[in-house]
Amino acid sequence: MINFGFTLSPSSRIDLDKANKPDFSRLAEIEPDILKCMACGSCAASCSTVNFGKMNLRKVILMLTRGEEKDALPLLETCVLCGKCTMVCPRGINTRHLIISISEAYKKAQKTERK
Amino acid sequence: MKERIIIGFDSFVIPFMVGMIFILAYCIIGLVRIICRLEPSDRKRLFISLVTPKTILKNIRDIICDCLLHVKIFRRNLMLGYMHASIAFGWFMLIVIGHIEVWLYTPHRQGLLYYPVFFRYFVKETNHTLKGAFFFFLMDLFLLMVLSGIGIAMFKRIRSSIVGMRRTTRASLTDTIAMYALWAIFPLRLLAESFTAGISGGGFLTKPMYWLFHNFLSKDYHILPTWWAYSIALGIFFFMLPFSRYMHIPTEAVLIVFRNAGIKIRHPRKGYSELQIYSCSSCGICIDACPMVTHKKNIKYSSVYFMRFLRRKNRKKTREIADKCLMCGKCVAICPVGVDSCELKRKFRNADKALPARNYDLLEVSEEKKPAEKDKILYYAGCMTQLTPSIYKSMEKILGAAGADYEFLDREGGICCGRPLLLSGNEEAAAELIRKNTEAIMNSGAGTLLLSCPICYKVFRENYDLKGIRIMHHTVYIDNLIKEGKISVKNSGKNLVYHDPCELGRGSGIYDEPRNTISMIGNLKEAAENRKSSICCGGSLGSLTLSSEDRAAVTKHSLKNLTYMNPEEIITACPLCLKTFGTYSEIPVKDIATAVAGNITCKNKKDKE
Amino acid sequence: MNRKKNILIAGAGPAGLEAAYRLSMMGFSPILVEKEEMPGGHLNKWDRLFPEREAADEILERLLSRVKNDVNIKIFTSSYIEQINELNDSYNVILSTGVTIIAEAVLITTGFDLFNASRKEEYGYGIYERVITNADLESWFKGNGKIPVENPQSIGFVHCVGSRDEKAGNRHCSKVCCVTAVKQAIEIKEIFPHATVYCFYMDLRMFGRHYEDMYLEAQQKHGIRFIRGRVSEVSENKEGRLVVKAEDTLAGKPVKATMDLLVLMAGMTRPASSASLYEQLDLSMDEDGFLRQSDAILNGQSNHRKGIFVAGACTGPKTLPDTIHEADSAAMAIYEYLNRMTV
Repeated sequence: MINFGFTLSPSSRIDLDKANKPDFSRLAEIEPDILKCMACGSCAASCSTVNFGKMNLRKVILMLTRGEEKDALPLLETCVLCGKCTMVCPRGINTRHLIISISEAYKKAQKTERK
Repeated sequence: MKERIIIGFDSFVIPFMVGMIFILAYCIIGLVRIICRLEPSDRKRLFISLVTPKTILKNIRDIICDCLLHVKIFRRNLMLGYMHASIAFGWFMLIVIGHIEVWLYTPHRQGLLYYPVFFRYFVKETNHTLKGAFFFFLMDLFLLMVLSGIGIAMFKRIRSSIVGMRRTTRASLTDTIAMYALWAIFPLRLLAESFTAGISGGGFLTKPMYWLFHNFLSKDYHILPTWWAYSIALGIFFFMLPFSRYMHIPTEAVLIVFRNAGIKIRHPRKGYSELQIYSCSSCGICIDACPMVTHKKNIKYSSVYFMRFLRRKNRKKTREIADKCLMCGKCVAICPVGVDSCELKRKFRNADKALPARNYDLLEVSEEKKPAEKDKILYYAGCMTQLTPSIYKSMEKILGAAGADYEFLDREGGICCGRPLLLSGNEEAAAELIRKNTEAIMNSGAGTLLLSCPICYKVFRENYDLKGIRIMHHTVYIDNLIKEGKISVKNSGKNLVYHDPCELGRGSGIYDEPRNTISMIGNLKEAAENRKSSICCGGSLGSLTLSSEDRAAVTKHSLKNLTYMNPEEIITACPLCLKTFGTYSEIPVKDIATAVAGNITCKNKKDKE
Repeated sequence: MNRKKNILIAGAGPAGLEAAYRLSMMGFSPILVEKEEMPGGHLNKWDRLFPEREAADEILERLLSRVKNDVNIKIFTSSYIEQINELNDSYNVILSTGVTIIAEAVLITTGFDLFNASRKEEYGYGIYERVITNADLESWFKGNGKIPVENPQSIGFVHCVGSRDEKAGNRHCSKVCCVTAVKQAIEIKEIFPHATVYCFYMDLRMFGRHYEDMYLEAQQKHGIRFIRGRVSEVSENKEGRLVVKAEDTLAGKPVKATMDLLVLMAGMTRPASSASLYEQLDLSMDEDGFLRQSDAILNGQSNHRKGIFVAGACTGPKTLPDTIHEADSAAMAIYEYLNRMTV
C-alpha cells in the first residue's frame, strides 16, 4: 500500500475492527442493562454534576460500545452516584450499578491509562 | 443433705467438662481478640463505659430484658416470646439455683463447674425439710418451664405459623446438631433426676416420674447411663456452640455491653463486627420483614443469610446479598438481638465497591461568606425533588404563606448530599462531597437548613458538622408552622394513609410530626404495617443490583400494605417514594407538602401586605 | 325471512363508523355502542390531520353521514357494555341502558386513551401553568379555550411523553406523535411567526408518505429547530417561565432552554374504560394492554376468540388511514366468518 506520509497525526476515525471486545463483553455480563440504552440522553440531561463535570453516561455507554474506553472512562470521574439518572431512564437501566460495573470491568484499562 | 459420692466426682461428668472448658476458652480468647482489634479510641470508650454507673445499669437492664426475658420478641408474638424466655430464663434460673444449692449444702464443692449441674446425682436428701422441698419445687418448676419452651420449639419446626412466623430459616448441619443436642438436654435431665429421685429426693415433677418409672424399671442400672447421656448432650451442645447459631447466647450479652459503650461498626468482619456476626441467632424474623421477599426466590437475600455467609466468609454470596439489599433498615429495626446488618452490608460494599477514580476538584464553592441570620431558612430541595416539582412548588407556597425569609439553594440544580455515595460504599468520595457542601452551607449564613428529601435529611444530621444551623425536614417544619399558628389549614375530610419513608422513620425517628399534620388536613389512616415496620417503596437508592421487576414487586406489595384500609390518598414525605408509588398506585399519591399546600386557608399577615 | 345478522361494534370512533358502513353494505345489521355522547372518538377533539392538514370535522362528517342515514345501523351513545356472554353461535349483550342485544359477531374498536401526562411529574403537567399537551393545543386550534400565554416567544414540543417509556409502563412507540408534533409546530409557528419553536425528539419516525416532506417544510420554511434528546426535567424560573433540560445528544452536551410554552406529545395507551369488556371476553392482550392479533400479517382482525374481531388502535397505535383500512378488513373478515357459519 502506498504511504501518503500523513502518519504524524493520529487518525480521528473510530476503528471498529480494533474495538476492545473482551472488556465490553465482560461488562455486559456483569450488567446486561448496558445493552438496553437507546441514547436518549435523559441521564446526561438530569445529571446532578452537570454544573461542574463532564459526566455523561449516554456518551460513556456509546463510546464503550465503540471500543473508545480511553475517552469514556475519564468522564465517569465526577459521578456522585446520586441515582437521578436511574430515576429518569426510560428503559429502566440500573445506571448506578452500571457505573460501578464499568469501573470494575475496565480496571485494567484504567490503570494503564493512569500510568 | 448429704454427699453420696465421697470424692465428689464420677467419670460421666467428663463430656460436660470437656465441652464447658472448650467453650469457656473459646469465648475468652474470642473476646480478648475482639478487644485487641478495636480502635484505641473505641477500646477506651469500652473501658470507660464499664465503670460508668449509668451504663452499667443500662447494661444490666438490657441484658435481663433482651437476653433472658426477650421482651422484644414478646412484643412481636406472645408464643414466640414465651418460647425464648422460658428456655433462656428457665435455664438461667436452673444454673443460679444450682449454684445456691451448692453454696448452701456443699460449700466446699464451690468452684467445681459440674457440681451445680449434676447436684442431684452427687447429693441426696437425708431428711425432709421445708427448705429442701422449696428447692426441689423451684428446680422442678424451672425445668418444667424450659421443657415447655423446648416443646414449642419442636412444634415450631413443623409449623412456624403458631409463633407468628410465615417463614423460618433453613438450618445448617451444625445448627441441626446443636439444636438436637439442646432439645435432648432437658428431657434427659428430667429423666436422670427422676431416676435418682428415689435416692436424692425430688419435687412435684421428678417424684411422680420416679414412681411411674419405678413400677417397671425396678433395678437401678439405668440411672448412670442417663446421667451419662445428659452430660454428653451438654458436652455436644457446648462443643457445637461456636459452629452453630446458638453462639448468639453468650455473644449477645457482650454485644449489648459494646453497643451501650457507643462503639461503631468500622469493618465488615473484624473487631466489633464479629460480635454482631455471632450475635445473629438465625431466627429468621428478618425473612418475613424483608421487603424483597415478595417471592420465595428472594428469601436468600434476607439479612439472616447475609449474616450466615459473612460468618462463613463466603465472599461471593455475601457480596451478592450486600449489593441486593435495599437498606430500608426494617430487619435492623425488628431484629430481637439488634444486629445492624445494614451497616455491615454498607461496610462490606465499602471494602469492595469503591469507584477507582474520582475527581471532584472542579466542584467549586464560592468564597463569599454571608453574615449569619438566625431566622433565614435555606431550602435545599435535593436531587430527587428536582424530578417532583409538586413538592418544591408546594414548599414555596407554604413558605410564602408563613411569611418565611428563605433562600432556595438548588433552584438551578444543586449537588448531591453524599448519602447515595455512602450507601454505595464510597465513604471517601462522600467525605469529599460533604466537605464541599458544608462549606457552601456554612457560607450561606442561614440559621435553618430545610430539606424535602429524607435521604438528605439523614446524612445532614449524621454526617455533616453544621454548627449553629438547625437541620429540619419539611414534615417537622410544617408541623411547627401549624402548631405555632403561622399557617392554618382546613380539614378536607378525606381518608389519608401515611407512608413512613425508610430514611425518615426508621432512619431518623420521625413518626409523629407528619401524622399530626395529616390529622389536621384529613382523617389519618394507618397502613397494615406502619412506623418502624413500614414497607419500603421499592425505589430505594440502597440497592445496587435489585432488578426493576423485583423493585416493581416490592412497590406493589408496599402499596397493598398501604391501601388495606381503603384510603382515598396516599401521603408520603419523600420524593423517591412519591415517584416510585406514582408509577403503580391506583389512588393519588401526594407529598405531605402538596397535601398541606392544597388545604391552606389563611395566609400570614406579612404576606398579604 | 331470517332477520339480518346483528354485529355489535364496541366504540363508535373512526374504525367503528367505517366498519358499520361496510357491514351494512354487506347486508348485516351493525349496532354501534359508544360511551360518549357523540360518536367520532378522538376525531372530535382534533382540528386538522396530518399530513395534508385536512379538517378533522370534515372527515368525521363524511364518516357520520354514511352511518346516520342508514336504517340498518343502530347507534347507542352514552352507553357501555355492562355484560356480555357467549352463547352457542352468538353473544348476548346487555348495555348500561338496559338494552339487550343478540349479536352474531362482535367487533372491538375501542381505540386508545391519550397518556395522562401528569404521570410524568418531572414535566410538570398540572403543576406548571405553561405546560400543555398535544390535545390541549389541538383543542385551542379548534377554537376552544385559550393557551396559557398570549404571545409566546419560545415554544417547545416534547416528543415521546409516555411512549417508549418503561417507567410509564409503555415500551411501545405511539407512532403518530412525531408527525403530529411537526404538524403542530408548523401550525403554531404560523400563528406566532416570531416565536422560536423547538422539537425535542429521541428519534424522528417519519415513516409515512409525505411525512418527510412535512419535516423538510418545518426545517426549511418555518425554521423549527430539532434537538435530538429526550427532555429529562422541567422547572420554573422566578418569572414563571419554563426551564427545560435535555441533552443535545448530537452535540454531546446537556442543553438548557427557557420556554414560554411547552407542549407534551402524550402518546397512546390502552383504553382504561374497556378493561371490563376485555376481561369478560377474556381477550388475549400484550403487557401494555393492547389487544393481540391472532396473526398480525394474514389475519390481523381476529383475536383468537370465536366471533370476536378487532380493528383500529385497540391493537396498538395507528394512523387514521391504517385504522380505516383495518375497519374495512374487519368487515371482510366478519363477512367471511358469518357466511362460513351459515354453510
